[in-house]
Amino acid sequence: MTAPSFEEFLRLSVDLTAFGETELLGTGLARQYLAKVRAACGDEIVTALLDAHRAARTEAAGDAGDAGSLDGILLDRVLLDRALRHRIFSDDRLGPVARNVIKLWYAGMWYALPPEWTDRYGARAAGEASTVTAASYQEGLLWRAIGANPPGAKGPGYGSWAQPPRIEDRYLNGATK
Amino acid sequence: MYAKFPEGAAHRTDPAAAAEVLYDAVVVGGGIAGALIASRLSQAGKRVLILEAGPAEDLTLRGYESYLDRFYSATGKDNQSPYPAGVNAPMPRGTDARRISPGAPDASAYLVQSGPFATDTTYTRVLGGTTMHWEAKTLRMLPEDFRMRTLYGEGADWPLTYEDLAPYYNEAEREIGVSADVADQAYLGITFDEGYVFPMKGLPLSYLDRMVATDLDGMPVELGGERRELRVRPFPQGRNGIPNPAYDGGKGYRPRGAVSTYQVEVGERCQGNNNCVPICPVQAKYHAGKTLAVALQSGRVDLVAQAVAHKVHIDEQTGRVTEIEYRRYDRPDSPGSATMRARGRLFVLAANAVENPRLMLASGLRGSSGLMGRNFMDHAYLLAWALLPEVAGTFRGTNCTGGITDLRGGRFRRHQAAFSVDIHNDGWGWARGAPMTDLVDLVDAGGRYGQSLRQGLVDRVSRQLQLAFMVEVPANPSNRITVDPAYTDHLGNMRPILTYDIPDYTMRGVAYARQLSRRIFARLGAEDHTAYDPDFWGYAVHAGEGYEIRGGNHLAGTHTMGSDPSTSVVDPDQRSWDHQNLYLVGGGSMPTVGTSNVTLTIAALCLRSVRAMLSQLDAETAPIAVEVAR
Ligand SMILES: Cc1cc2nc3c(=O)[nH]c(=O)nc-3n(C[C@H](O)[C@H](O)[C@H](O)COP(=O)(O)OP(=O)(O)OC[C@H]3O[C@@H](n4cnc5c(N)ncnc54)[C@H](O)[C@@H]3O)c2cc1C
Ligand code: SF4
Repeated sequence: MTAPSFEEFLRLSVDLTAFGETELLGTGLARQYLAKVRAACGDEIVTALLDAHRAARTEAAGDAGDAGSLDGILLDRVLLDRALRHRIFSDDRLGPVARNVIKLWYAGMWYALPPEWTDRYGARAAGEASTVTAASYQEGLLWRAIGANPPGAKGPGYGSWAQPPRIEDRYLNGATK
Repeated sequence: MYAKFPEGAAHRTDPAAAAEVLYDAVVVGGGIAGALIASRLSQAGKRVLILEAGPAEDLTLRGYESYLDRFYSATGKDNQSPYPAGVNAPMPRGTDARRISPGAPDASAYLVQSGPFATDTTYTRVLGGTTMHWEAKTLRMLPEDFRMRTLYGEGADWPLTYEDLAPYYNEAEREIGVSADVADQAYLGITFDEGYVFPMKGLPLSYLDRMVATDLDGMPVELGGERRELRVRPFPQGRNGIPNPAYDGGKGYRPRGAVSTYQVEVGERCQGNNNCVPICPVQAKYHAGKTLAVALQSGRVDLVAQAVAHKVHIDEQTGRVTEIEYRRYDRPDSPGSATMRARGRLFVLAANAVENPRLMLASGLRGSSGLMGRNFMDHAYLLAWALLPEVAGTFRGTNCTGGITDLRGGRFRRHQAAFSVDIHNDGWGWARGAPMTDLVDLVDAGGRYGQSLRQGLVDRVSRQLQLAFMVEVPANPSNRITVDPAYTDHLGNMRPILTYDIPDYTMRGVAYARQLSRRIFARLGAEDHTAYDPDFWGYAVHAGEGYEIRGGNHLAGTHTMGSDPSTSVVDPDQRSWDHQNLYLVGGGSMPTVGTSNVTLTIAALCLRSVRAMLSQLDAETAPIAVEVAR
């Protein structure tokens, strides 16, 4: 079995987080995150997750060809969402791992997988709750999503808190009661 | 001003050699109380020995960085997470709190709790003490807080007035470096000297505060037959802002930066890291290391760290303290210690309101009034949380920039406790572990990912409003610290045992606070999400309603001051009535806590006591004083 591809992990991460490749690479942690997921879940499962993701994209792209050329193709978001739910999020084995990858990116922390999962697919020492590095907390996407700095790092400057938050407009307007 | 923590200061004093010195003063505890006293005594030419239970490396560059790294890497970021948990000088941790079953003390953690009420109140045993992780709100007490018994028939009167303390408040504000504007802080009887300005200008209110203020300001409240209007008011803060050029009659103010080298450039102004508790990465926030650094540079202050005071020895005839016996441990994380002693003319216990009485009681010194350890006080916090109708950009700024202080005083205090209200810039963090809990919930239970996750986070986190009502707790002799040889730590020190219940007077304030929070949320158009969990360790029922009550970390009252030796432990100078050359300083001396976080008052009291210490030293050592004053 070949090792899970970094590029594919990155593409998966973009879909899971709604942050662009540049932003994800900019954290400087993408490779360490892939290594973390591999260590925590094993290559077989990571590969299965990436395969399922590729298949979901193929499905969403209708009659598109192989995964490698998918990038340029306009995906149907509704179809992709459905495919991801069907192929990944509702899958006993892949769902919890995908959710953990999301949390890893957003919190900079690896959460322990649920006990039902480890009972069935095996527990590994690297699968326990842990921070990846001291820096990973600071790079959590959560803080960017809410227009804040990670508490304790990247201080935004004196008095900045008096200004409105810098949150992307589309999310601001979407705020509903 | 830049004062570096002197390299090697933590190790330059040999405990064996120190045992041969008769110091002018031996100070137990290197927190703000001990640091202030050591710095002022040494300025006056006195020789001082500080015994500090915690390790002292931590105020050097490497040490401070290790705090930060420990914090960044911790999977649970509670308020002790940056600090090393040593076995020899253990400390309570908020996460220790458990529900207490009647009759069965919870001895699972350092602070033994015999209840009935369990608290998560903490303090830090490292050099610099609890100011390493305090939030640094620096409110003065109200003049009426000093006369509670006379005015409202509740609590106690102080042997001092606001006016007596006012000059020391000024000095404490200089030492801590307080950012605030007089115009915002002169209310409910608080007065300032003609022309006074704070060292630095007030920190701006957060966007969240302003959003709350838009609707809240002017909200009428009728209480105790008095009508008032609420408003959002900035808090005075012990963190660096913009120096006020008008300070000190136009001389201005130089803020104090970091004490460890690499932060020199960044250690000046608060950057809005939103992490003041548990640790300010750039040391914009005051901590006692800043005062210690200056004291240690005087050359007249010796410091022995990893030195846990074990017993206060007295001369049976005179009642005077002869020496302090302490355990000097070799390493924070393993056993191995030596018994040492320290001698001085004066002894100052500055180990905080739990550790001071613990040490006295463990030394068999209960006090002639029988009040040692009694009248333990803290603040009781009630949280209420809601979602604002619009995005407020929560999670930015210092932990708290503004709040509501209009109900800190008034005639209603005859009937129920007063409170001050914080608007938390860190959202529902304290109540519900936001924003991580929101993230986990949105992903795991909400099936959110990608854009819908980002939307969910903005909707749910950036609109959070959490009000923290800090409710006063009056002195009650049955709330107390005791010791019992059955409970000791690794070094054989008896551990503190806390017996604590929340008085009805406080609970009436709590119940009113909850009601008021509902009105406030309604006025703001905010969705109230407050729900109190009956399984919560600090769940308390009053008049049929249950509340989650949290500890305030504002330890006070265990060796209260008074003008009558039969009803107090120390005199107005914080000198022990029973032991002429012993001072017990800090929150323990306070007869009431009112509705201000206690530290500014602790600092003012200590600065005031220094005067008494100096005149006692001069009176008692008159013939050789010439030799000491270099
Ligand atoms: C999370 C949190 C937030 C807070 N926020 C605020 C705030 O906003 N405003 C405010 O006014 N206050 C606040 N406080 C309270 C404030 O931190 C304390 O009031 C203050 O630090 C007390 O100072 P101290 O010097 O009396 O005691 P401490 O700071 O506790 O120092 C005592 C020192 O004595 C040492 N010691 C203890 N036992 C021994 C022994 N046996 N032998 C030798 N040394 C010993 C300790 O290691 C320590 O260095 C907060 C506290 C916490 C925990
Ligand atoms: S907001 Fe940040 S920089 Fe300011 S005092 Fe708090 S932790 Fe320090």
